[in-house]
Amino acid sequence: MTAPDLYITTHALIHSGAVYRDGELIFKEEPAGGTNGFFLSVYKALKVDYPKFYKMDNLCKLGFLATEWLLRDRQIAEEYGVENIGIILTNANSSLDADLKYFESVKNIPSPAQFVYTLPNIVIGEVSIRHGFKGENAFFVSEDFDAGFIRFYVQDLFMRNRVQACICGWVDCLGEEYKAVLYLVEKVPGKDKLIFDLENIQKTDELANGQFNERSEAADYSAIKPSRSQAGGYWR
Amino acid sequence: MQSPVFIAGVGVISALGTNVQDNLMSLEKETAGIGDMAYLSSVHRHTLPVAEVKMNNEELAGLAAMSPRLSRTALLSAIAAKEALADAGIPEYNPYRTGFVSANTVGGMDKTEDFFPDFLQDNQKGRLRNLVHHECGAVTELVADHLGIKHHVSTISTACSSSANAIMFAARLIKQNILDIVVAGGADALTKFTLNGFNTLMIVDHELSQPFDENRRGLNLGEGAGYVVLVSEKVANSLSQTPACTISGYCNANDAYHQTASSPGGTGSFLAMEGALQQSGLPPDEIDYINLHGTGTQNNDIAEGTAIKTLFEGHYPPMSSTKSFTGHTLGASGGIEAVFSVLSIQKGLIYPNLRLSTPMKDLPFVPETKFRKGVPIRHVLSNSFGFGGNCTSLIFSKI
Repeated sequence: MTAPDLYITTHALIHSGAVYRDGELIFKEEPAGGTNGFFLSVYKALKVDYPKFYKMDNLCKLGFLATEWLLRDRQIAEEYGVENIGIILTNANSSLDADLKYFESVKNIPSPAQFVYTLPNIVIGEVSIRHGFKGENAFFVSEDFDAGFIRFYVQDLFMRNRVQACICGWVDCLGEEYKAVLYLVEKVPGKDKLIFDLENIQKTDELANGQFNERSEAADYSAIKPSRSQAGGYWR
Repeated sequence: MQSPVFIAGVGVISALGTNVQDNLMSLEKETAGIGDMAYLSSVHRHTLPVAEVKMNNEELAGLAAMSPRLSRTALLSAIAAKEALADAGIPEYNPYRTGFVSANTVGGMDKTEDFFPDFLQDNQKGRLRNLVHHECGAVTELVADHLGIKHHVSTISTACSSSANAIMFAARLIKQNILDIVVAGGADALTKFTLNGFNTLMIVDHELSQPFDENRRGLNLGEGAGYVVLVSEKVANSLSQTPACTISGYCNANDAYHQTASSPGGTGSFLAMEGALQQSGLPPDEIDYINLHGTGTQNNDIAEGTAIKTLFEGHYPPMSSTKSFTGHTLGASGGIEAVFSVLSIQKGLIYPNLRLSTPMKDLPFVPETKFRKGVPIRHVLSNSFGFGGNCTSLIFSKI
């Protein structure tokens, strides 16, 4: 088994009231009306009709929105077949946002609608139902974003021929803090020929830590400092 | 042509009794094991009926020959697995490649629940030993060690289809010539965690459940364990007592619809049953009995019923939900119902669907309401459908 050449063909970031795709700012709301208000604005900006969005908890909404922007203009289900597309996600806070809201509801009448979101991998289910994906999937919880682990795990899936394309990255939401960094990984290079390696995974992740390049040629990451610990807050 | 996989032995413990004989007796007498909570400590003691195994942990530990300090899940598992091995009558299983594939959904959660009250008062308190078998796999390991099975041990946890998937996986391990003998099934003990969780979903019946009834209100939770011993043709030929049946079909499919609910048309259920039939090469009209998943919830029964209506149109075999006896034993249900399915073939039995008073208006068939014996049963379909849309159907066939 040799590792095929893998590329990040698209990446999508949602953080601090803004949505970026391949480094390009595509939506911004200032001031962002809290997590709930911002997610609703992003949903409306997508102009898709998917009423189930309104039922989702915020972690699922965030994962749904990031995937919608990631896969915009693409039909990967048709291109690769639904069983050949993997989803590998990570975050730090698991489903704590939904857990706390559910726990609050227990004081009165426990809410079944909230209870069913008290697992982190439900976001993978919501994305899979939306796009019909049936491939390998897993959700890992770790304190920090671990680019090395993501690269190893996704590369291994490709090596074993379990996936032909893979959505991977970070989707985390707790109260008013949220961040999604998703990568679409394929064997064919995208327009930026971004290799799926540690450096590129980390650079893209850093974009979401406030170091956005708002010009359309933002895929040039040379201005970004190597430090990973500038964002502060609970993400790091 | 793939070689057949034989069922050489069965073992079961449930609210109906601690062994196959006692379970059969309750099934024949049409006596359910569901009633007032006597062993689990819960705020729902006087409001929610449950199907408990009628023994405390000390008594179960005596039967299992294990420590009473272990999780109730492990004790239930060991009792049924040992009965299945004894029933198979394999004099010495270690010369063969032997596996233990066991399912559960709660693991050692009962002991974790014992730990927390003290710990929450003072984080220096609480018996840490109560936490070491928390995860599902730890329970399987304890029992595998107790049985002395070493070649292959795995745990499957896919909600209510868990032990059906364990049996499916075991059958594949034998077909692929990876193992010769596999003890497969599952166990689950009642815990506060599961009772409160299902209660939150508002699908627990405050009375005795009525699966497949027009006025069904939900499920009763139960506990127990059920295992079958699957063997290769080589092992089957070496046994003094010829196995009565094979596992001829199995299929797992997913609804991809909702976290906990089935799709209205029962897509996953339909695909699982259809796939199992295809694998067995049987037309639907050769199925002589269906052991329904039949939880008694509004959602499951109409989804499962609709799928059966589509697949079996024109020929509806006798069917029933034995959860009306045992309650819904979650990770154990597929194992317990596989045991009942094998016994149905061995002894020519059809079990009743208790407390059915008004058949469902949208379904063209009515489940069996009386215990019948002496019925020639060739093929039994057993359904186990779980949360996450995880649907599995198994087919057992007479030799």
